[in-house]
Amino acid sequence: MINLYFFVLLPILTAVLIYLFSKKYMKNLALLVQLFFLVATVVNFNYVKKHGTIIETIGGWTNYTGISLKMDLLASVMVMLVAFLFLAFLIFDYPKKYVNKLFLLLFLILQALITGIILSNDLFNIYVLVEVSTIVVAILIMFKKDSRSLYDGIVYLLINIVAMTFFLFGVGFLYKTFGVLDLQGIKEGISLLEDTKPLILPYSMMITAAGLKSSLISLFNRLAKAHVTPSAPSIVSALLSGIYVKTGIYLFIRLQDMFSPAINTSNFFMIVGFLTGVIGFILALSQTDINLMLAYSTISQIGLIMIGINYPSEDAYWGSIYHIVNHAFFKSTLFLITGIIIEKYGTRNINKIQGVFKRMPFISIASFLAILGITGAPFFNGSFSKYLIKTALSGNPLEYGIILINLGTVLYFLKFLSIFKNGTGKTPFKIDNYRRSITIVLSFMCFIGGILGQFFVKFLFNHTVIFDFSNYFQNIILFILTLIAGLVIYKYIIPKLKWLSRIKEVELDFNNICLLITLFFIIVTLTVFFN
Amino acid sequence: MSFNGETASIILFFIGLFGLIGRRNIVKTVISLGIMETAVILFFISTNFTEGRLPPIGDINPDKMADPLPQALMITAIVIGVSLTAVSLTMFITLYHKYGSTNWAKVNRKRIDETDD
Repeated sequence: MINLYFFVLLPILTAVLIYLFSKKYMKNLALLVQLFFLVATVVNFNYVKKHGTIIETIGGWTNYTGISLKMDLLASVMVMLVAFLFLAFLIFDYPKKYVNKLFLLLFLILQALITGIILSNDLFNIYVLVEVSTIVVAILIMFKKDSRSLYDGIVYLLINIVAMTFFLFGVGFLYKTFGVLDLQGIKEGISLLEDTKPLILPYSMMITAAGLKSSLISLFNRLAKAHVTPSAPSIVSALLSGIYVKTGIYLFIRLQDMFSPAINTSNFFMIVGFLTGVIGFILALSQTDINLMLAYSTISQIGLIMIGINYPSEDAYWGSIYHIVNHAFFKSTLFLITGIIIEKYGTRNINKIQGVFKRMPFISIASFLAILGITGAPFFNGSFSKYLIKTALSGNPLEYGIILINLGTVLYFLKFLSIFKNGTGKTPFKIDNYRRSITIVLSFMCFIGGILGQFFVKFLFNHTVIFDFSNYFQNIILFILTLIAGLVIYKYIIPKLKWLSRIKEVELDFNNICLLITLFFIIVTLTVFFN
Repeated sequence: MSFNGETASIILFFIGLFGLIGRRNIVKTVISLGIMETAVILFFISTNFTEGRLPPIGDINPDKMADPLPQALMITAIVIGVSLTAVSLTMFITLYHKYGSTNWAKVNRKRIDETDD
């Protein structure tokens, strides 16, 4: 077993070393450390699987006084995912010029912070890590110094500060009641509490922050835009949409678990998840910017994950956790690919890009695999996680909600596919081997994750899925029906919907976003109060 | 109920929130955030405080001490608050040079016009 603080310290120390001694070979050090980090996470994952949760108290304080780090099965899988994808992203743009010592400093520090958020078991510590990661992300998305991104950057930063101030105020209320900041300690305290009234305010404050971090409800759509702002390198967009948003969901899971003895809002958040999914795909469908389409698609998928984690069923829960992992793979593949496309074509407008298949056949095949994954095509990873969630929900009206969200996914990817058409007689683009290998590895994972889905769920989460083939066969038929319905709607109905193109012009300014956050906070408070 | 630090901090927090929703000036937004942060800091240090407690410095009886943990935490929170204010003001200056306005709505409109071109 490797000590947990090592996972937070190592990237930061490496980052500082690389920054101080800015020699050429130092870039190799980053790669080496990443590789080592990945191995370390696998070692710890094995340990957790055999011996159970690791809890490490820093400074040796007992009774929940000191900061503690905790690695359970879920955390170890998340850390492994973070390690794998950070390594892949680094290799992807390794020879590029912008990957200099400053970029590596920010990149590695962000890795340490994300790992810290996942491992930390102390509320104030989580606040600090999230707050610092917000600054790092705000700098990273403006890294290519495009002045159009300035507005996105500042709004992103300020909105996140507002959210985290809410979070800290909530922590203050909890500290007043329990006198500890440790998640486990507070959970024990909550189960002893007779009157749960003092918990309502801290709960809604903290959940508001976690909801904003996971871009729940597309009304915080400014954040999705910030992730794909023009000055963000494609690996940063992939990282934010693939991993960083997931830390918000992870935070949400941890908070829900902490308050579970007293407060149960799973029904409310299932409806919120459904709304997020539907609004997400409508917004994705209305965009003409390929990166924005993918960003809103992330929101839509988060809605799906939200439905799964809040449904009281083991299958649905682990299905959505598996969907988090799957989504990280296919969405980062797609973001890396659109990054290449935007770089080669010099535009982000979907109507101006054509003939990608003729000019980049290799990359196109990789993106087809990822698209099959995200739309839930049979034998791909998305189908397995969606199958788990949907089967668990059978009989619940939200089962149709999931089918609807999947239909939406099919629709906007039919639109996305238009970039591959036409384009004969043009010379193919050259793509270096670093980029080729990473996109193909990531997209191939989408396929492996599908055919070995049952094995992976057992291997990663120790959860046995009873696989019913006739049920899965029904799902295949359902997918084909969805595809046909999608084609019909895309061909005959979508072009008639004039309001669709008007949606994308709706731009909330900062004050309105703050108003919406406050409204969300009030709604959560009232829901808990009358529950 | 007496008017103590906690009540004051709750009122301050919502004054700050009102500033965020109701004021279009970007500098005022940063100030409102500062007010909210101060409210949280006040809440932490005044909560669970009883009259007659001593500051947790030097060689004194632990039973008479005020709770040292929130004080230590709030120093961190102050440092983070200062750096966040600094970063957001720096970004604001660049934004102001580009769009020539301190108004959220105007900046937003100019930005939309810019992307349409």
